Amino acid sequence: MRRIEFYFRETAAGIRRNGIMAFAAISTAFIALFLFGLALLIAREISLVIEQVTGNVEVAVYLSDPVKPEILGQLQQRLQELPAVDSVTYEDKAAACQRARELFKSNPAIIENVSCDVYPASLRITLKDTSQYEQIPAALSCTTGADGKVSCQEPGVLEVRDYRDILDRLSAITRVLRNGVLAVALIMLGSATVLIANTLRMGMFARRKEIGIMRLVGATNWRIRVPFLIEGLVEALVGAGLAIVTLFLGKVFLVDQLRTQVLWIPLIRNSDVLAIAPLILVAAGGVAIVAGTIGIRRFLDV
Amino acid sequence: MISLQNVTKVYRNGVTALEDVSIEIEKGEFVFVVGPSGSGKSTTLRLLLREEEPTSGQVYVAGKNVVRLSTLGGIPKLRRNIGCVFQDFKLLQDKTVFENVSFALEVIGKPKHVIDGRVPEILDYVGLGEKLNNYPDELSGGEQQRVSIARACVNRPLVLLADEPTGNLDPNTSVDIMRLLDKVNKIGTTVVMATHDQAIVDAMRKRVIELDRGKLIRDQSRGVYS
Repeated sequence: MRRIEFYFRETAAGIRRNGIMAFAAISTAFIALFLFGLALLIAREISLVIEQVTGNVEVAVYLSDPVKPEILGQLQQRLQELPAVDSVTYEDKAAACQRARELFKSNPAIIENVSCDVYPASLRITLKDTSQYEQIPAALSCTTGADGKVSCQEPGVLEVRDYRDILDRLSAITRVLRNGVLAVALIMLGSATVLIANTLRMGMFARRKEIGIMRLVGATNWRIRVPFLIEGLVEALVGAGLAIVTLFLGKVFLVDQLRTQVLWIPLIRNSDVLAIAPLILVAAGGVAIVAGTIGIRRFLDV
Repeated sequence: MISLQNVTKVYRNGVTALEDVSIEIEKGEFVFVVGPSGSGKSTTLRLLLREEEPTSGQVYVAGKNVVRLSTLGGIPKLRRNIGCVFQDFKLLQDKTVFENVSFALEVIGKPKHVIDGRVPEILDYVGLGEKLNNYPDELSGGEQQRVSIARACVNRPLVLLADEPTGNLDPNTSVDIMRLLDKVNKIGTTVVMATHDQAIVDAMRKRVIELDRGKLIRDQSRGVYS
């Protein structure tokens, strides 16, 4: 207890004495961790959009009405046996309608004027290997018409639609956005590490007389260093806390404002912000550990 | 208590600070180490504290070979058995007299009840029982040196090393400090004091070890400065 009290008193004294440097370190950590969290939230948002738009389905085989159970079973089995296919799920007309209504929630006119009957049932396919897509139209003896529409000879099959393109484009956008923000975040995390390390070093320099006396009277290396390590950790964690709060406020005041205006796009929820909070804290911990190791290296000798 | 065996110390810049020096000091002795600047006095003290390692030879303090001590636990433990007093006092200006002394116990993890018991006791012993809450800049040089002696002795060390403890003090105050060191010696602490102060050495009539350019040139019990 006494030791813990000592560590925290020394840490608090250090941060107070080193105020401006500590402030700089905390702000850099805050910006870095904020961008890091932002990158994660952007990735999450885009994957929400992709899921909404495509249901992660890469190929849809639309079925002609009425769907005969024996043909359905046969088709499902044949598609499932194709090496390129990962999974095949059946979506009946009611489910298709439900999904369409969800999609057009913001536009009641469409929902009211289009009867559920127009939405075809479909087999929704995810691929193991998207480059092997051709296996599917081939298996159903489909041909691509001049208008780009794929029509099929197979009984019961209306049309095959390829969503790979959209998916590819969406995930390309995700990648660029997420990687861009992550790259900036990584650079900022690097600067935060250097700044915190520097703060610790300046703190040690400011207290070199105390450290000299501590050594002289037989304080162990760890007794001398731990207050500085805690100081780095506190700075990183305060930055992380501010970043989490800011992301949360941004979600409440910016994203939630959008929610009433753009109804057709699914938006991140509080739980998504909550889910990335531990990652931000872990990143802060990493920054503190690296900064501590660099910062106190010069004082490793007794 | 202290044993230097054929110790040579050559610094990295090529300066030979000590050359084949052997010294034996028994428990409870009071020893002056004298000699001009650069004769190796401070190096001797730094070797005992294991702030430096000898280039060759062995150094024993309290039965331990200090060269073999580990930085992790061994060296701190050695230093807990050695008190240090310097010419410039090395007090922390933003701490009170009490805090300066208690700091030495706190940083080696002594519990609060030990600190609260020992610090006023040792400050009383050095004659500063009334000045617990003063800051160093409110004290005279002699009083500051008393604080530093209190800090050096509060953990009851076996050895007290003093490097020119009277170097910044006027003659009368120096005599008071020497009385105090003698008092510390009388309760069983081995005292090793490096000094230039001829008057003090001559007055005390203690064992004198004289170094000159790194060589031991005299070791005399009840000696004088030169």
